Amino acid sequence: MKVVGITTQQEVFVGSRTRNLRINEFLIIEDPNQGDLIGEVVEAKTFNRYIPLNIAGDFVDNSVIESLRTLGYNIDEETIFIGKVRLLNEALYPVLTGSDIRLPAFYEVKDLMIKSKKEDGLVIGVIRNTDDMAADMDQEYKNLLNTYEENGLQPQREIPYIMDVRSMHQYPHIGVFGGSGSGKSFGLRVVLEELMKQSIPTIVLDPHFEMDFSEKASYLQGDSFDFEDRFKCLQVGFHVGVKFQDLSAQDLKNLLDAASTLTDAMNNVVDILFRRRDSFYSFYNKLNMLMEAQEEGTVEKIDNRIKDAATDEERKAWAERKELYLSYDKTCPHSSVRGIVWRLKRLDNDGIFSKDIREIEEGLQRGKLMVIQGNTRILQVFSTYLLNNLYHKRREYKDAQYKKTTADYFPPFIVVTDEAHNFAPKGYDSPSKSIIKEISQEGRKYGAFLILATQRPTLLDETITAQLNTKFIFRTVRASDIQTIKEETDLTMEETRRLPYLRTGDVFISSASMGRTIFARIRAAISSSPHTENPFDELKSKGKEDDKMFMEIIENKLPINDTDLLHLISEIEKEFSITFTIDTLEDRLKEMTQKGFLSKEDTIFGYRYKKLS
Amino acid sequence: MILIYSIHSDLKEKIKDLNQMLQDKYRGIFSKDREFLRDFIRQYIGQIETMKRLDNRHLALYEAKGGIVGVDGSTNTKGGAFPHFVQVFQGLAKSTLKDQEPVFMADIYSPLFSDSLKNPLEKDEKVQTEKKNRLLSDIEVKVALESIKRHKPYGILMDGSLIRYNIYSGDLWAELRQVCEEEGIILVGVIKDIKTSTIGDMLEEVYPDLSINAYDRELLFGILDYGEIIYIKDEVSKKYEYEYSSVFMRSSIAPTVIGMDIIDSQKGHIEEMSRLVYTLTPENSRGVPLWLDLVDKEVKISDTIMEGLMEKYMDRDIYERFFIPERARRN
Repeated sequence: MKVVGITTQQEVFVGSRTRNLRINEFLIIEDPNQGDLIGEVVEAKTFNRYIPLNIAGDFVDNSVIESLRTLGYNIDEETIFIGKVRLLNEALYPVLTGSDIRLPAFYEVKDLMIKSKKEDGLVIGVIRNTDDMAADMDQEYKNLLNTYEENGLQPQREIPYIMDVRSMHQYPHIGVFGGSGSGKSFGLRVVLEELMKQSIPTIVLDPHFEMDFSEKASYLQGDSFDFEDRFKCLQVGFHVGVKFQDLSAQDLKNLLDAASTLTDAMNNVVDILFRRRDSFYSFYNKLNMLMEAQEEGTVEKIDNRIKDAATDEERKAWAERKELYLSYDKTCPHSSVRGIVWRLKRLDNDGIFSKDIREIEEGLQRGKLMVIQGNTRILQVFSTYLLNNLYHKRREYKDAQYKKTTADYFPPFIVVTDEAHNFAPKGYDSPSKSIIKEISQEGRKYGAFLILATQRPTLLDETITAQLNTKFIFRTVRASDIQTIKEETDLTMEETRRLPYLRTGDVFISSASMGRTIFARIRAAISSSPHTENPFDELKSKGKEDDKMFMEIIENKLPINDTDLLHLISEIEKEFSITFTIDTLEDRLKEMTQKGFLSKEDTIFGYRYKKLS
Repeated sequence: MILIYSIHSDLKEKIKDLNQMLQDKYRGIFSKDREFLRDFIRQYIGQIETMKRLDNRHLALYEAKGGIVGVDGSTNTKGGAFPHFVQVFQGLAKSTLKDQEPVFMADIYSPLFSDSLKNPLEKDEKVQTEKKNRLLSDIEVKVALESIKRHKPYGILMDGSLIRYNIYSGDLWAELRQVCEEEGIILVGVIKDIKTSTIGDMLEEVYPDLSINAYDRELLFGILDYGEIIYIKDEVSKKYEYEYSSVFMRSSIAPTVIGMDIIDSQKGHIEEMSRLVYTLTPENSRGVPLWLDLVDKEVKISDTIMEGLMEKYMDRDIYERFFIPERARRN
């Protein structure tokens, strides 16, 4: 291999007759004047001056090539390999054309490739096309992981990509971008697995109900890491919720706003009516009573109600309503009060107010990964409250440290979310956006970090995108997203051109701590997503299950005469508490006949279904 | 505008005239049907036969016996009119065996640095051309000799008629021929553009009314079918006096016919060598064996390379002073 053509201080072309070059491969250029220079292949091409076989305009057929091969000449051997190599550090002078090139040994690139010990870092995958250098790699970096390729699970052959988790102190936030099916969620899973291994307190907002780590991936054999006690899935409204008594007026407004956008008047209503330490019931009651009083319309009418009250209790209740009416009717218009009431009702129906977040806090204190599940809307509401709460707890603790006062310990933590553009959208406000923005801008100081995944980086708030110092970029096809990636990362032209063609699980990692973009492959996950079953397989197996169950039910009733159906239905209902109508039962029997489980025969008494022998 | 147009129209007329003249001249022979000429060839020139491609076993044998070497030369000139030019020559003998290094040789000629300036005759263009042909021919023979010395191939395919070497490289050629005969290396020349008039001359003898000095090239155009070969009888062949045997063949779909010479003592191999040439020629090509095309491509000195060489290895002062003609300075 030699340097060929015109060179610059940054880039050279490399030609080889024998060895094909690969993109992202590292090469050492032995410049006689400047010493060894290290560079990375950014473009690789092959060229055979005889193929396409249009020698002097002639089209050459295969039989002649074959004949030549028999004569000892293989036209393929005329292929030359050309690569464009970009120097990692600019050289002082343009590289000397004709300089020899060799492959680096592991120790020469170690510092470029590995920034952290495997014990202190996140072992996320392998750096692609480094297998040649990995041959003499230190033992401690070998056999750390497997990758999943087209032909199944493969042992590690390349240099591992170990993300230095400590560097998050300088470069706190991570973006994970990639279209659907690009391996983005899978990459996120691997990152989370590594966070769990390191016992780093983490909150995952999981709108897809997929971040469950209890199931082992089917392709893994033998022992593997068990995450069982390192994570917990909690559903909003079922396991966790908001403690109403802890809410500030602002929290409440955020929550209500998340249920449906609040008007200024409604905001005003909350400010006027909500008192700190109100319970859900007391606040709801207050609103409800005011609303009822307003529905009466005038003080006279309410007075009438008090006068006509049948019981003392009712009288007292209306008196209370009157009081509320007198104090608040002027400042809280009826329509706004009603608006607040139904929003509150909606949140309550979602179960948000029935639980608290203590379990989450405890989990984080113990270094666990807490997965918060719920539909996107609920999560938006809840995360607003949750993140505000946790972030400020952490902040209070740190501030107290600075001020040399005391506060309860609260650990640093990482917030992870998929579909981040729903939580921090560009262009419009969303309650969760302000807290995510706050963490993105000053979380570093307090030890609160973000990992935001989205398939639409274009839709993610720009201020936040700008704060993502490390970016994982998976396959992206959409032009507008590629454009955003181009603007937001240091990916080169060549790399962005490759984005639409990346294999699932291959990723560019643009990291400020590495100072350059690394082309990596995410390792095989240890756990598996609950959503991996193919829905079409599911349909099939569900059908089979149903058939089996039905056969079990009628097993002992066979043969069945069509005159017996009514009797049979009541029997089945008694035994299995499953109800059929005559029509559905008959349909089912016919269906089973078609599928070949039963046979149907004519008798003098009508049809009869028999078990097929 | 008008001027350009008038030149065009004039030129157009001239070309039309040429076309008409050729039509008139060849009307007699072109109006005969194809079978007439084929019969004539069978009767007076030689047998027309159909070739079979060599099968892989056969080719593998050649590989085992040292492979086939293709020999070609190339020349390029830089500079202007006599004597301010330099000519470079390059010869290549390349074996089909991958492990045998190709033999390259080069030579250079400039009238500025030879006795030619003293010799007024050398200014003559003919003499210049002959000089060039001689150097080119010599270098081809030299690389062939060298490749025999190094590799002992089974056979050598020269690019062009063998007569050429007789004419331009007498002694050297005699040496090559002798070595080949002694070592049993089959030596053939493959002629892309045949320039003989064997058939035309015979036509004249037999049918005096068809006496038009026709060349074999145009007469054979379209006369043979793909894969057909004419073994030219020694008594009619003009090359026999140089002790060569020759064939014409149509080696591709293109209607043109190529020729092949072999030294007479190796006449026994004429059929297999013809079949080799046929086998190595792509069906949809101009009829040249691919091997010779590859060699040609590799030996060629392009204008860019020539210029690069001159600029790199010659002092700018010398280069400009001697070899940059006015024409090259035009923009």
